[in-house]
Amino acid sequence: MGRYIVRRLLWTPVLLLVVGFITFLLGQYGPGDPVQVLLGQYQDPEVVARIRAQRGLDEPVLVQYGIYLKNAARGDFGESFRYRGQSVVGLIRNRALVSGQLALTALVLSLVLGIPIGLLAALRQGRWQDAGIISVTLFFYSLPVFITAPFLLLVFVLWLRILPSQGWEGLFDSHIILPALVLGIPGVSFFARMSRNSIVEVLSQDYVRTAKAKGLPPSMVYAKHVLRNALIPVFTIAGLGLATLVTGAIVTETYFGIPGIGRLTIDAFRSRDYPVITALTLMIAVAYVLANLVVDIGYRLLDPRIRYD
Amino acid sequence: MLRFARNGSVVGPGTSITARILLSAIMALALLVTGCARHDLLNDNELVQLWDDPPTLDPHLAADVPSALIVIEVFGGLVTLDTNLKVVPDLAEKWEASPDGKTYTFTLRRGTRFHNGKPVTADDVKWSFERAADPLTQSTTVDTYLGDIVGVKDKLRGEAAEVAGVKVIDDRTVSITIDSPKVYFLSKMTYPTAFVLDRENVAGKRDWTRSPNGTGPLKMKEYVPGFRVILERNDLYHLGAAKLDRVKLLLAGGTPMVMYENNEIHITGVGLEDLDRVVDPGSPLNKDLHRPPPNFQTSYIGFEVTRPPFDDMRFRQALAYSVNKEDIASKVLRGLVVPAWGVLPPGFPGYDPSLPKPVYDPDKARQLLAQSKYGADLKQLPRITLSIPGTLGSAVGPELQAVLAGWREVLGINIEIQQTEFGTFLQDLRSRRLQMFALAWISDYPDPQNFLDLLFDSRSMNNETHYANADVDRLLEMARTETVEATRFDMYHRAEAIIVDEAPWVPLWHQGQGYVLIKPRVKDYLLLPALVPKYRFVHIER
Repeated sequence: MGRYIVRRLLWTPVLLLVVGFITFLLGQYGPGDPVQVLLGQYQDPEVVARIRAQRGLDEPVLVQYGIYLKNAARGDFGESFRYRGQSVVGLIRNRALVSGQLALTALVLSLVLGIPIGLLAALRQGRWQDAGIISVTLFFYSLPVFITAPFLLLVFVLWLRILPSQGWEGLFDSHIILPALVLGIPGVSFFARMSRNSIVEVLSQDYVRTAKAKGLPPSMVYAKHVLRNALIPVFTIAGLGLATLVTGAIVTETYFGIPGIGRLTIDAFRSRDYPVITALTLMIAVAYVLANLVVDIGYRLLDPRIRYD
Repeated sequence: MLRFARNGSVVGPGTSITARILLSAIMALALLVTGCARHDLLNDNELVQLWDDPPTLDPHLAADVPSALIVIEVFGGLVTLDTNLKVVPDLAEKWEASPDGKTYTFTLRRGTRFHNGKPVTADDVKWSFERAADPLTQSTTVDTYLGDIVGVKDKLRGEAAEVAGVKVIDDRTVSITIDSPKVYFLSKMTYPTAFVLDRENVAGKRDWTRSPNGTGPLKMKEYVPGFRVILERNDLYHLGAAKLDRVKLLLAGGTPMVMYENNEIHITGVGLEDLDRVVDPGSPLNKDLHRPPPNFQTSYIGFEVTRPPFDDMRFRQALAYSVNKEDIASKVLRGLVVPAWGVLPPGFPGYDPSLPKPVYDPDKARQLLAQSKYGADLKQLPRITLSIPGTLGSAVGPELQAVLAGWREVLGINIEIQQTEFGTFLQDLRSRRLQMFALAWISDYPDPQNFLDLLFDSRSMNNETHYANADVDRLLEMARTETVEATRFDMYHRAEAIIVDEAPWVPLWHQGQGYVLIKPRVKDYLLLPALVPKYRFVHIER
């Protein structure tokens, strides 16, 4: 197991190097020229050439990548093209904090609502409550953000007028409610369905029957024997979900005017902000590599039958 | 079923599991919604606006309107523009021009201070110009605004350590020498590239614009890129302190009309989709409606005049006379724009209201087409493509489609639209690969030289159409140094008339916000077409 983890960790930098290089190449050979975009209609070739040289854009690609890596190793990911004078690290730090808080809220919401609903469905397995929950959660799970977001805006902002429509004021402010709901609704459905299935499976296990037969009170059986075992995979997937939520809330963040990683990503691509694009790609790659590693290790710990050697 | 237990708690020993689970879920939701209590989103003496995320708040780098509009409130230069767009003193209290018109001597106002209380000196002025011209600063605007100053180009090329044309005479006096007399030089000095910065605040620091030490009417309290800018009143401001306590600019985007109606912002523009309900006199929003003048900007279709078919002047003129600008502006764009007849926008210095207007005239257009090389046989026409810049599949506006439809109907000419990523578009434009293109020119400083000279002088690098006319060149050259304003503007009028007649451009419209909603409590928010510091005039009624 230890060797497995070490091997996985050693491969990570190689993976990042390759991912980084591919992103870097896309920037070099993709359409458009960031200096042209920067200068706009101003057409002086001398200025274009000067700015290209100042940014090192006239060096060969490999040299540029080498310089980039050298700086990156020191924690310096350069300066944004889009936000002139701002460091990439500073920009991403601010945004990641926001996205992280939003993602965590959405995840907590998903679990807090999803697990009880799933439990209810499992306990009423085969009855109308179960069928109802399965159908309703399937419905909500299938709703895209561009349906839920305008609908919630219509209800809570334009009709009821009890919530602000957009913006960000931190974790403990009403601005977080709508985006967290939009991000959380598919999560509630997902975790409800997942925990239902998991609980149903555990309920049919011998040890549950034994516990019941021993005459334990039902609350004890559910708390100690059923939920504890049924929810382990749920929480493992939740960890992976966090990585997706942090990096994948592009539409929601754009819709609700939230200054998070999603917004930064879309803006960076729109303005050909290569330093930010490359750093973000690396960050997302790291997030997924680590999340996958944690999940793999988690499975191994949960189920001793799984072997990676 | 849900029962209330005798001890008052909702959940008792007899509560079923279904009820317990449902209750816990409901309580979780309730906890979430308790944060919903609506607070007054618009605080007392704070102006809140939705704002385009500015690329930079460094005055020497700012090259776009959203950035510059913030920068002019936080920083200042030797001179500024007043609300009538006249150049007036800012950090300098007065200046004198030498008899040859090449040297300006500025005297700094006594007692002007940076936001942290430090006095502004002539050294700060010199250091700031040199910082703007330092190649390491990577300013893209320095050539345009400071390029006339002797020594700036040498410094930019790395051939000089100092800018020779900027001299400190004493603590309060600085002289600036330019390469030839140019009456528009002082207008250029109002732009942020010429602003004075605090060396200790700036030098060698990344992210310094998050806590800048400026001299403007407002101080930066908070700046988080992509999130928000909060500005506070500078009580020391030498031209009179602002009435507002704070200005909050939201940078993270949103749906402006929803935010306005939900009392989250004080001011918003109105788009085509909301226009109907806002202009309706019965609408509650109607009393908030204002009509600002168009910005100092001209949208146009340009022709590459060195290549067929646009090397034929009559062909260009035929196109110019078959665009029904008035109808498109009023019907398609619902009055959001003003039709453009010439190059200069209305209200701009040197604007000529008596310029002959090439109004829509289908008969004349067909006649001109018949006189052109292609009149006998339209099949000889090469395939024509109109190039427009655009990224991420941004839609082609209905107004351009209306222009193309007009050409098809009146002249029987089919023109295709091609959308290209902005950077590629500009490269193609410069290497003369585009036949015709739709663009807009926004004024950098209020002087006709900024439009006519830059865009139509045959030697100018920004002459995108490669139009060349010896008379125009001569008039533009004379106007550069003419000091009598009336004579000078007359030269520009004559040049503009030739340009409009020969039609290297079809000017389309002057755009602005068109319709703006302002909350009635907000007073004296000036809707101006140029970069003028204006927040200090605004106040909010209680």
